[in-house]
Amino acid sequence: MVSIVIDGRKVKAKEGSTILENARELNLDIPTLCHHEELSPFGACRLCAVEVKTNGKWQITTACNTPVEAGMEVKTTTDRVRESRKMAAELLYYRYPETETVRELAEKLGVEVFTEKGEENDCILCGLCVRTCREIVGVSALTFQDRGLGRDIDEPRIEFNPNACIGCGSCAYVCPTGFVQMESEGDKRIIWNKVFKMVPCEVCGRFFAPEDQLRYISKTTGVPFSKLTTCVSCR
Amino acid sequence: MDRIAFSSWNGKVVDNRKGKTAKAVKVTVPKPVGKEKIAALMGWSGLVVMDPAADVLSLTKNYLEEARKLSCGECSVCMIGIDKILDIFEDMAEGFGSREDLAELENVVAHVSATSKCGYGQSVLIPVLDVLKHYRADFLDLIKGDRKLNGKAYSTAVTAPCTEACPASLDIPGYIELIRNNKFADSLDVIRADCILPGVVGRVCTHPCEEACIRNAIDEPLAIRLLKRAAADYDLQSGGSSLPVPSVEKDAKIAIIGSGPAGLAAASNLRTMGYGVTIFESLPQAGGMATVGIPDYRLPGDILTHEIDLIKRMGVDIRLNTKVDTLNVDKLKKQGYSAIFVAVGAHKGNPMGVEGEEEGCVGFVDGVEFLRELNLGKKVAPQERVIIIGGGNVALDCARSCVRLGFKDVEIVYRRSRTEMPARDEEIEGAEAEGVKIRYLTAPMEIVVSEGQFECLGCVTMKLGKPDESGRKRPVPVTGSDHTIDADMVICAIGQSPELPIVKGKKKLNVTPWGTVKIDPVTYMTNMEGVFAGGDCVTGPATLIEALDAGNKVARSINAYLSGTPRLDGGLSFDGVDLAKQRQEAFNAKRDARCVKLLDEKQRMNNFSEVEGGFSADEAMLEAGRCLRCYRVVVWEKAK
Repeated sequence: MVSIVIDGRKVKAKEGSTILENARELNLDIPTLCHHEELSPFGACRLCAVEVKTNGKWQITTACNTPVEAGMEVKTTTDRVRESRKMAAELLYYRYPETETVRELAEKLGVEVFTEKGEENDCILCGLCVRTCREIVGVSALTFQDRGLGRDIDEPRIEFNPNACIGCGSCAYVCPTGFVQMESEGDKRIIWNKVFKMVPCEVCGRFFAPEDQLRYISKTTGVPFSKLTTCVSCR
Repeated sequence: MDRIAFSSWNGKVVDNRKGKTAKAVKVTVPKPVGKEKIAALMGWSGLVVMDPAADVLSLTKNYLEEARKLSCGECSVCMIGIDKILDIFEDMAEGFGSREDLAELENVVAHVSATSKCGYGQSVLIPVLDVLKHYRADFLDLIKGDRKLNGKAYSTAVTAPCTEACPASLDIPGYIELIRNNKFADSLDVIRADCILPGVVGRVCTHPCEEACIRNAIDEPLAIRLLKRAAADYDLQSGGSSLPVPSVEKDAKIAIIGSGPAGLAAASNLRTMGYGVTIFESLPQAGGMATVGIPDYRLPGDILTHEIDLIKRMGVDIRLNTKVDTLNVDKLKKQGYSAIFVAVGAHKGNPMGVEGEEEGCVGFVDGVEFLRELNLGKKVAPQERVIIIGGGNVALDCARSCVRLGFKDVEIVYRRSRTEMPARDEEIEGAEAEGVKIRYLTAPMEIVVSEGQFECLGCVTMKLGKPDESGRKRPVPVTGSDHTIDADMVICAIGQSPELPIVKGKKKLNVTPWGTVKIDPVTYMTNMEGVFAGGDCVTGPATLIEALDAGNKVARSINAYLSGTPRLDGGLSFDGVDLAKQRQEAFNAKRDARCVKLLDEKQRMNNFSEVEGGFSADEAMLEAGRCLRCYRVVVWEKAK
């Protein structure tokens, strides 16, 4: 355990835990967008800004991916913090003004919004889908498009590998803006423009999971495919 | 000394506009290579203006456009921030700007620099603040409509502290970023552009990049070498991808003497360009020092064999057991070779210059020869005690090989102290863990022979004096400290020299007093027309990565020479420029570095199994996530 101070309160924090984890234990309100408890932190949205003092200087950092250090002091509600969060939201709003999640968040953090309720579902490159697919599902069908020296990328985007995707829809579930869409049409599921054949439940007949997903579960758990063709409600 | 009208480089402002006394700029700024002159340049560390009439606003806009290209978009502030700034610039240029925009520009720059996720976003926009502060009048003119942005072409250079430290200038942040994003195959493509032996280099490189890594000041440097290895390992485990075959075949063919790293790098580059390539190799195996100098526990033989195979499959002809004793340039030209690359390395062990050495005896062997024969399959019968003279990687390789061969007592004798030892830390630590003893500040004076058999080594104790040309403290003998060291065998590994082919004909190859080949530092051509040289035979024994870089450069030079295309100047030199420093410090949290496993010491004793493990794909991705993307962009306007 390490001793840290958050907003003047002495806290015994677990080694390796993040500022955000500890702040949430204290019920402190820190906004996030690209964060998920079950996934590794990414620090993309920059909304969880806090001020931290470790080398004698107060500096802005992101609470989600900053591990605690002995003697660290944290402030979660200073003017500088509020300004930082507002600017982060303002820049997101600048680029995606028609996406409702972004518009709402910007308004909440004090940005002057001048658009009506958003109708768009932009990808804001938060990486939740990428991390979910790699860390929870384990198939890594989604990655950030390559970039770097010599690769002149105008518009970074998420790349989809159809050969790896099992159609589970976890990415659609975590996407905060509705960019990742999953459609069902009879015995078909369409996601990222890939069509999956759905398996009907043995008992109720409802199309409940893609065949690819059940085969993947069978392969990784060793449970025979035939034992997986019953939906959750009928088990 | 260049006349500078204005500089804010490194944060030190020198303003000589309005005819003030010409204050000298005491910081080192990037300079053009060759004769090109610069009117103004902008980089991560500031703005430098030579010509007072330079268009600083247009330079700034171009800088921002280049900066945008390298913004990865993974954090919301940098890419969107640059876009917003460029939008404001456009508004101003089209007459829709106002004074309030200047405050907004400052605001966005300050926010992006303080809150960006990586070092790139934290540093790239700082020079814009200099322009806002010191060239405010230009902005106001733009807003009023009294000034226009020009559409001129600007030059760009991009580097990074690690890239600059790398002798082959690899795009390190680029290949690390691809690993972070689970794109191992793409990462390997980036690596192979400058380093055709990634599995080899990822194991044995001296990694000056890691010494330059900015994370040294935060926690630990990125394990750049091991990440390179991870990309190569992943490829091998996935089946091993081929190197691209040339799209167009050229008529010309090139002769390369020596299949070491320099020769192989030149061969693969030339072959990609479409040239025919023949390598003449004197030994029964290809690879040069990488094959016969580096023991298997550091570099398993199959790794290098695989990477050489890939080069052969491109269509490179490697002729083994073909020693070129005599270099007959006319004959080679008649055989159709348009250019010759001498890449014979430095395989001749240097003598110590002590009594008893010349006669030789049983039990006294040269280190390079010892390793070469061992690596080519010779069986060595272990003896009770062996001493190795020298402190470089060859000496360490001999020592650790002896341990594995069953020598009970292995001791290194080095004339300076641990600090001056040139061998890699990993080798010295490995040797000590394996029970090798190191005797410092001891120099050999005589090989004492008895009946043709080595008896003992006459030595003297040294103390450290003033530094010599290498910067290391010179060893000075302590009077009256003569003593002897007993051993059954002594290996001498104090340095190597090249064994150059004899040139047939009147014209001889120009060599330096140390026996290395003299070349033009820009073209790599020797004094003989169409004959190039590079690698250890030019520099003396150096590192693998330096040899690879020489091979890359010779290939490009040969191509320029044969196709008549002029050498392009126009690059920027970052010599002496502080690439590590970012003008504004932002917070970068400590993150634990990934470590690899080392083979347990007890399991290393009687085999040559690889000692160092590699990263798994997951570990590599986690380690790659620590990279701060310290790309440094410079944009400049050429002087008229």
